[in-house]
Amino acid sequence: MDNQAIAEKHQQMLEELLNEYTKATVLTKPEKAQKLMGQVDLMADSKEGLEMLFEQIPNLTEAGIFKGSPWEDASKLVPTLVNGTLKSGHPNSTIEILSELRLLSVAKGKFDLEGLTQEEAANYIQEVVVSNLEFVFNEPQEETRLVMSKHELSKVHSLFKFLSSYTDYEQVKAKIAEELYLICEQRPVVTEKQRKIIAWVKEKIELNPEDPEDQKLLSFQRSIYRPTKRSVGHDFRSYRQLLSTLSEDELKEESGEISEMMLKHGLVSQFQASLLLHLVEHKHLNLVPVCLGLNPTGVARFNEMSTYVMQLITEVIDPFNAQCIYGLGKMLENGILSREAVRSGLSNLLSIRIHPEVEKRILKSTRTPHEKVSPKQYLIGAVFRILGQPLGVGQGNNPTCQSARGISMWSQHAPAKLIHMIQTAAVYDDLTFRFEGREIKYSTTPQGLVQVLDHNLDAVSVTLVPMLDRVYNEMMRLASGRGEDPHKWVNPALYGQWIQMGFASAYDYMSDAIIDFDGFVKVFYAMCHPDYNGGNRLVYPNPVGIFITSAKAEMLGFHAVSLLRVDVDPKGELRAYFLNPNNEGRQDWGQGIKPSVVGKGEVYGESSLPLHQFAARVYAFHYNTLEATDKMNNVPEEKVQRVRELAKESWGKSYNWLDIRKKW
Amino acid sequence: MAKCYALLGWSLPVIESMQKLGKPYVVVSFPDFQAYAEENNIPFVPYKFNEWSDTSNSLDLLEKLRTFDADVAVPLFEETVEWAGALNSIFRDDPRVLNRAFLFRNKAMMKRKALIGGLRVGLFEEVYNKEGVKKFMDRLNEANLQIDGEEDSWVHIKPFASAGTVGHRLLKSKEDIDRKCEDGDFPCLAESHLPGTEFSCEAFIHGGKIRFLNITEYVKLGYSNFIPEGHRLNSKRDRIMNEMQKLVNIFGIQYGMIHPEWFLTENDELSFGEVACRIPGGHILELASKAYDFDALGAFVCCHDPNLTEEELNELLPPLDARPSEFYGNVMIYPRKNQISQLVIPEELKEEPYFLDHTLVPPLTTQKLDTREGFGNHFGTVNFKGEDPDRMRELLLHYENVDFYQ
Repeated sequence: MDNQAIAEKHQQMLEELLNEYTKATVLTKPEKAQKLMGQVDLMADSKEGLEMLFEQIPNLTEAGIFKGSPWEDASKLVPTLVNGTLKSGHPNSTIEILSELRLLSVAKGKFDLEGLTQEEAANYIQEVVVSNLEFVFNEPQEETRLVMSKHELSKVHSLFKFLSSYTDYEQVKAKIAEELYLICEQRPVVTEKQRKIIAWVKEKIELNPEDPEDQKLLSFQRSIYRPTKRSVGHDFRSYRQLLSTLSEDELKEESGEISEMMLKHGLVSQFQASLLLHLVEHKHLNLVPVCLGLNPTGVARFNEMSTYVMQLITEVIDPFNAQCIYGLGKMLENGILSREAVRSGLSNLLSIRIHPEVEKRILKSTRTPHEKVSPKQYLIGAVFRILGQPLGVGQGNNPTCQSARGISMWSQHAPAKLIHMIQTAAVYDDLTFRFEGREIKYSTTPQGLVQVLDHNLDAVSVTLVPMLDRVYNEMMRLASGRGEDPHKWVNPALYGQWIQMGFASAYDYMSDAIIDFDGFVKVFYAMCHPDYNGGNRLVYPNPVGIFITSAKAEMLGFHAVSLLRVDVDPKGELRAYFLNPNNEGRQDWGQGIKPSVVGKGEVYGESSLPLHQFAARVYAFHYNTLEATDKMNNVPEEKVQRVRELAKESWGKSYNWLDIRKKW
Repeated sequence: MAKCYALLGWSLPVIESMQKLGKPYVVVSFPDFQAYAEENNIPFVPYKFNEWSDTSNSLDLLEKLRTFDADVAVPLFEETVEWAGALNSIFRDDPRVLNRAFLFRNKAMMKRKALIGGLRVGLFEEVYNKEGVKKFMDRLNEANLQIDGEEDSWVHIKPFASAGTVGHRLLKSKEDIDRKCEDGDFPCLAESHLPGTEFSCEAFIHGGKIRFLNITEYVKLGYSNFIPEGHRLNSKRDRIMNEMQKLVNIFGIQYGMIHPEWFLTENDELSFGEVACRIPGGHILELASKAYDFDALGAFVCCHDPNLTEEELNELLPPLDARPSEFYGNVMIYPRKNQISQLVIPEELKEEPYFLDHTLVPPLTTQKLDTREGFGNHFGTVNFKGEDPDRMRELLLHYENVDFYQ
């Protein structure tokens, strides 16, 4: 059937089922409603379907579809509850969608509802849109990914597309500006999300340069579309021509302006690639560090190895591969490029031939692959980004927090090993790991957690993650059945020998219960709390397993993060700073536990929580067995109880708790 | 006209039909339903059908029904057939009505009756243990002139008194008997496998005559069926009608509806499988209502009333020779995994012109499934409607194998 015929059939079915529903007595109404809602569910995932439902919504309402439900009295609806209901799946999400259509119908003056004015309905829709930007941009959060099916996501996404065509964006500008700020302040390696939002704003919203709120959004736009005054009215090609007419001083001005813009939001424009290539080509050696936005340390390192860096720029940078300029700058500043092994590794990468399968994955991960840029350039560009922004590594829409965490750890502490791994994987589309004396080979192990990889990742991740995921899964398989969490053995084998041998888990496999949680918290504090661990700082990231909980503090699932450091924030509060590979700035784990990503002393890419709140979500971590056991007794009881209460009242409800003492 | 129908069992669509037809009724069912009945003004007598004692029996129930002036009993569940039989034998002052009800509740007795009356049935026997089934299979092999190394003849075992596919096992070999039979299965009926197309009939009977006959084509037993019958069965309709009337006569059925299952071989031989007299499973009456545009549930109840007038009958039932132009079919969906987390409606279904509607519900978070009894509880039904019975059969076969739950 063509789309027209399908649409007509759906229309007809909806009318028929609505008719049956209307005619049914109270006895069989629930059964007829179920069928009717089944049809609504089918139609709700497309624009055409929503339009038909929108047409029918007065009839559906009058037939009593909301009757006796929490949606009955439209004046009592709460916009902030919509998000949770949409995530709860059919039939709740379906009736929620109908409820929004009903309010929209009232707002448009097409339908009268008692106790609700047109204006109130319009405000309601506005607020619903504002509190669901994740659906407007189709960028679901971790929690959302865990609970929603593909069909449910497409239903909800269609709804918000539909609602947004009727929404006045004046009201949501501030929210979007904040959203962009929160994303950019984490300096993610993959910048597609913010670019998508910025492009969307450019297309949909008229901005006023005089308005301070609009200036925020304009600043994001400028960083991509017109980073310098001279770039206005040009594209990157005509800009390059313009550059050859500029004097040395003008070029310096241009370099300063453009790098300032880049550092502001961590976004690189195509213009900057044009400028950088122009500077390198015309040997403006002193201007290259300015254009890269380097700090004095970075400048010194650049001067040390300028020939090498210029070669990298010439071979890798392109206006269609521009974002890695930011990574390159950061690599120079953090000193990674000063290591001989890293430089050798990168030089090797420049001469490899990439396996066709890997090339395919890399091109698929590039939103707009350009023929002028080779998959190798994209790959090395991604290496720059990862080595320059190790805390910006993300997992995309994949259940691969383990792999993302690994890439991030190696890029900080074993960069040359990482580069070598990338090289092997890229050339052979295969990878091997050691595990307890055996060799685990990607190509001969069965499927991992990822069924279908979401390619919304950087080129390094698309190269490595499918392999790491499988290797990890195979290690987990080999280490299972030992009566303890297999991560105890898998983490050191996967991430490296600098992971401590001691492994504490709150959950006991044998008794299927939480055992000696108090002891667990004490060991955790003895490992990382400066008051009880002898004032030590953490040296390497600690791979930590946490419970993901909903905004209502209900248990949702497990997640892997790295604890990076424990420090006092600007206000004097002790916080855990950690890497969360899902790159989310707006999280709510319930009980007032909301990880922060900016403004509480975080370095770009870090998330943070007050230490006791973080402790209340941890279920597994590594520690030094020689140290912790005698230090754990220093931890005062009241500190432990504070954590215990939060844990027990949230994820703890899903488990049995046994308070027998355990030897740690 | 009946003063009051006593509906034994629980079915909201039946109650709704009674209300719409404006017929007097009282529902007799388990006490669990009492609160709902009171809330919705449904005349109700709570009764425990699974208890039979000095204080729980048909005479006691009869007393309780007196205030409602009930004079016709209608079984809605398999388990209420004897209760209805007992009540109706009193209402009609005919003790054999109860005996007839027992006939429906004992599959061995039912087959013997059919055999005596001259219907073609398979070989059958009552068996008491696994050894008995093996000996039955031996005798069947012998009769089928089995040569060494040939496969065993297929045997079905069924509980004497269960509805539909509950407890039904197909045994293809001696090993099957050891593997699939459990001690709790016995005693039961063993019977030879009947080859051919399986279908059911729903015959609405009044005054010992079939007043309307629906034929339901089974695509796969327990999974899918459609109404009216396809071309081949339709070409045999007269023969089927004759055999059906024969069955009615042999069993001596005067009022109500019967739902027998038949097998038609390639050589046009018609064999009797079994028969029930309650509301059939598989949403058959729902499909029949749609296909023939009548209230099949209301008609089912009313046919039990000996005093129903000819006009009323004509009003309630479609003409005897009615042949709808559109076919209605359904497939029942069973999850195919032990653990399911989501419902996925395939795109191709949404675009299928025959697709009508569905009653599938998403699972509760990650749901573990109970082991299956009979064919288990289906999670919902997908309904189809269209003009070509062959296309219908194709679709039903296809969707039976689609994983709606993942």
